Amino acid sequence: MHVRKGALVLALVAVGVCAPSPASAAPVTITLCALPGTATMAGGANVPIWGFATGCANPGLPGPVLSVTVGDTVAITVTNALPAGHPLTFEAPGITFDPGPDSAPPGGTVTRTFTASAPGTYLYQSGGDAGRQAAMGLSGALIVRPATAPTDYDVEAPLVLSAVDPAFNAAPETFDMHAYRATYWLINGKSYPDTAPGITAAGGQRVLLRYLNAGYDNTTMTMLGMHGRVVARDARPVAGALDVTAETIPAGATEDAIVTVPAGAGPSPHGFPLYNRQQHLTNGPQTATGPAPATGGGPLKTTTEDHH
Amino acid sequence: MRFAAVSLLVAAGCLFVPGRAAAIPPDAPPTGMVCTPGTVAGSTHTFNLTAQTGYIDTPDGNSVFMWSYAEAGGHFQSPGPVLCVTQGQTVVVNLTDNLPEPASIVFPGQDAAVTASGGAAGLLTTEAAAGGGTVQYSFVAGSPGTYLYESGTDIAKQLEMGLYGALIIRPAAGPGYAYGTSTAFDPSREYLLLLSEIDSDLHHAVETGAAYDVNARRDRYFAVNGREFPDTIQDNGSSLLPNQPYGALVRIQPTTSTTAPALIRMINVGALNHPFHPHGNHTTQIAQDGRLLPAPVEHFGETIAAGQTLDFLLRWDDQDNWDPSTNPLPVPPPNYRDVFFKDSNTWYAGSPYLGRKGILPTGVVSQNICGEWYFPWHSHALNEFTNYDQGFGGMATLLRVDPPGGCFAAPTSATPLGSVLKSGTVTGLAADDTSYYAVNPRTTTRPSATTAAQTSITVASATGFPATNGYYVRIDNEVLRVTAGAGTATWTVQRGQLGTTAATHASGAVVSALATDLTAGFTGVPAGSQHLRVTYKGANCATTTATTCTALTTNLPQQTVKICDWTVGGAAGCSTPASPGWVTLPAPPAQPQGVGSTEVGATWTLPSAAAYLNAGQVRVLVHTERYTSPAPAAFSTWGNLLALSYDAP
Repeated sequence: MHVRKGALVLALVAVGVCAPSPASAAPVTITLCALPGTATMAGGANVPIWGFATGCANPGLPGPVLSVTVGDTVAITVTNALPAGHPLTFEAPGITFDPGPDSAPPGGTVTRTFTASAPGTYLYQSGGDAGRQAAMGLSGALIVRPATAPTDYDVEAPLVLSAVDPAFNAAPETFDMHAYRATYWLINGKSYPDTAPGITAAGGQRVLLRYLNAGYDNTTMTMLGMHGRVVARDARPVAGALDVTAETIPAGATEDAIVTVPAGAGPSPHGFPLYNRQQHLTNGPQTATGPAPATGGGPLKTTTEDHH
Repeated sequence: MRFAAVSLLVAAGCLFVPGRAAAIPPDAPPTGMVCTPGTVAGSTHTFNLTAQTGYIDTPDGNSVFMWSYAEAGGHFQSPGPVLCVTQGQTVVVNLTDNLPEPASIVFPGQDAAVTASGGAAGLLTTEAAAGGGTVQYSFVAGSPGTYLYESGTDIAKQLEMGLYGALIIRPAAGPGYAYGTSTAFDPSREYLLLLSEIDSDLHHAVETGAAYDVNARRDRYFAVNGREFPDTIQDNGSSLLPNQPYGALVRIQPTTSTTAPALIRMINVGALNHPFHPHGNHTTQIAQDGRLLPAPVEHFGETIAAGQTLDFLLRWDDQDNWDPSTNPLPVPPPNYRDVFFKDSNTWYAGSPYLGRKGILPTGVVSQNICGEWYFPWHSHALNEFTNYDQGFGGMATLLRVDPPGGCFAAPTSATPLGSVLKSGTVTGLAADDTSYYAVNPRTTTRPSATTAAQTSITVASATGFPATNGYYVRIDNEVLRVTAGAGTATWTVQRGQLGTTAATHASGAVVSALATDLTAGFTGVPAGSQHLRVTYKGANCATTTATTCTALTTNLPQQTVKICDWTVGGAAGCSTPASPGWVTLPAPPAQPQGVGSTEVGATWTLPSAAAYLNAGQVRVLVHTERYTSPAPAAFSTWGNLLALSYDAP
């Protein structure tokens, strides 16, 4: 699937932006619920997950994109609808929360508050069960936008990187984590070809790639036909202009890079590919003489030209 | 951990002189990056490549089935050819796919459109069909820098199997720059280190058509330029590794404020991120992925991610005034209890071994060639510093720091050629110190009295005196010239020479030569060495007997240092001080030089080495004459340092 810009934005916004971005600082209330659900992997396998949703239904992998503006006083209320015995701890590394409880018991809620300051891309997640909750899918993107609309990009694309070992997901309470071996690698919870819609931008437009590594592994992404300029890591600006093609996003880290899309159709029949360079371009168990699917899978997303 | 390695393999590489594999040009240098020429027509640079199968060898004796790019019609090689082009050129790559599945090439980092003709649309790019299908890629080379090219098809299998190579785009500024004018480097010291990994089980499965699970991949071999350590330090094109043409030994000499750094181009074509650690000195990273960094950054370890390229400038600025002759560092050989021996090589941890050859343990032939330093550069993921889990090996190479000015050799033999050994041994010539190799002029006696008019004299022995007529001797204060009878004990002489006066001499008078000659021989100088430089430092002292150097400040003895030209008469051509094979070392400094009791040191450089190098041997003669009037006096020649330096191959 290689969909157009409109579809992409729709997808992101529909899933994600719970809070409108007010022109001035304002109290912002966000509600989340952590609950069990199911994610469909490329190829059709259904995998149990624990995920965040805005209401206590249909959890996403990853959770919704949260968007606030510098100066906002933000209150995030999280309902823990996980199975019994799994208290949830809500975390967002890089965000300084106001003092107060950080955990919700099963069936309970916790509200964490902060005043949005440094703009950038943050990962939110559950810190419960020593990482098992995050591995089950309890993570998402939190974007802090500057008070004035930025002018250095035209299109943005949050890219939450993660992985799934279906055997773990099937038994999150008892699985021996030493045996963890992912077989799906995901962008925004999907692997190719389900990663469509791709990013759509016109030649010359600047696309802000907001990488968030919610997975367990340092993940290296590369691209064809274009290169990126790293502008921030972990929601803090980098000094100078660092131009890159292949970048490693450490586990738990975020990185913002701006890609100026060249004019033309791109090197791939599908546009400009952005993909996992650690060769995780397969989906699911591999049992044949060639990778499955034969056409390629994994964390691969394309940027296609918007000719409108 | 800091450790030096001294290796027989290095020496063997020089002594064995392996032939060249066909994958690289026959005139390729033994170390450094080797470009595949391709063909250039106007501003178009064309490479014809195949994707094909072949095998590589690993240091543990394994043979691994590979897929790789190679030059069409050429020799299989792994990794693929190094494609070097110039910014602005139109690059055309014609790919013929001889593999059993479609294959392709992608060019990460090229923002210019890559147009493809022929072939069929694939996931990431246009692909050539299996079994001989073709596709042509064309693009304008963009930003200068280090790039990789690799398969864009069936990536989980084909990248693992070896479909990758290096693409170098040189700037319009010229070959001495990596990027802009801030990135000048020494073009003779341009190195490529391309990192990859191999799960040999997966390769075996591909070879035999068996199923495999890429998710269960466990890499067993970790390569630099397609070779695993210690194969990485073999020369480019070594016939020992016919399908792995690219060596990875990095060589440098101490840099100075006026010398340009070396350039290290690193590429990670593997799936894993590799923490690469250059021992011995920091490197200065200047670029990533073919783009200059905002500012250079110094590293002693840097993780290079899958698919990334990093460029480094390497300097070796000596802080310790290292001089192999005057300030060798530190020099005692290591305690062998601290040494790790493997395969006749010596490796050890602790302080680096910076000195000359020491006493060698049984079974070890050589510690190093000429006192050079070796530092390992390796993946600091230490499981990758292995060959199939056995260390050392894998993703490692060596940095070889040659002595300033090149390799240094001390003489292995010294002979008072015709002269009389006063004191010392050959080791007295090895260093600029207080240890000397001293010789006196040859002497004999005249058993009977001599009249002032006598022109035929018989001496007790002619041994050590020249066999060729025309030399001078001294009896008391008179100098005589031997005109006939040289080589026998009865000489025809001219009396009162060199401003002296013929006189009578008593029975038993001492007959003394007016010159000293000492020769020293060097061995083990590698064939192909260039730029021989001979250094001699010594004094001439006023007596033949004192144990300290007696002042000699006037009428200085005249010293001429010569080298044996083996093409004149072989060893026989340099058998006596007057033999025709001795060639005076060319100015500067001019010879002869007047040398008294104040030591004089000088270095002479020979533009070419071949005539002076014979089976590893170089011989040097120090000839000193003194026939001052009116009172010729005895003198002794004290050699302090006689050294040879050269650029080893």
